[in-house]
Amino acid sequence: MVQFLTLGAQIQHSWPNVTQAVWQKYPNPFASHVLSSDVVDRTVDPVTGVMTTTRLFLKKGVMPKWGRSLFKVRDAFIMEQSTVDPRTCTMVTVTRNLSHKKIMLVEETQTYTSLVPQSALDASRSDAVPITQLRTDVRIISNTGWAPIKSRIEGFGLTKFQANTLRSSKGLLHVLENMSKQTQGGTS
Amino acid sequence: MSSISPECNDLKKTYDDCFNKWYATKFLQGDTTPACEEIFTLYRACIWRAIKEKNLDTLIADARKEKPFDTPDAGQ
Repeated sequence: MVQFLTLGAQIQHSWPNVTQAVWQKYPNPFASHVLSSDVVDRTVDPVTGVMTTTRLFLKKGVMPKWGRSLFKVRDAFIMEQSTVDPRTCTMVTVTRNLSHKKIMLVEETQTYTSLVPQSALDASRSDAVPITQLRTDVRIISNTGWAPIKSRIEGFGLTKFQANTLRSSKGLLHVLENMSKQTQGGTS
Repeated sequence: MSSISPECNDLKKTYDDCFNKWYATKFLQGDTTPACEEIFTLYRACIWRAIKEKNLDTLIADARKEKPFDTPDAGQ
């Protein structure tokens, strides 16, 4: 069985700033579970100008207590593959766990697009607030053979994911706010 | 933020600083000519050594081979 989840959110910051914050997201006070972050590959297509990046994260504590006793799971390696197209103002990140895939595979696709308010399309208006649309699609699948455990893991995955999404958004906003403080002269 | 391997930390910091500056002042402005190549070559070599030591290279290769889940509303 597979569980799906789609979430939509609007971030009250411009698309360029949001994508910068994605690169600078860790560390932040809401992500103490993220132990390391690395860029392992990065290329820019000379024709399209699209940047493709692979990042590797180490995160701790992926299982609930009852699961730990069954599976001896501690930290997990997570891989993120992303593309940034500056021409269409689209950033897509696809994140999945490399470790413990048999227990649970979580694949999260996040699409960041620029949402230009109608007022900004009118050249005479410069007070339009920039907005970034974030769409999150999640797929969770457990390959554990034993059905009762399998559905319990998938259920846990979904609950945990919803809580993590909230925490993750708080982290991104924290980084965005710090970035705007610095841009405003770094007086704080 | 730390690197996966402590010995790559300095290279990672230098590269991240270079990349973040280039991303904001060049890439997002439409100049997509790559920069920070020299430092990235060094940092990447350091990271891949750590990846191989931890036997993560096959996991990464497998994950790349697997067809990603269908992206809903492709093109959005």
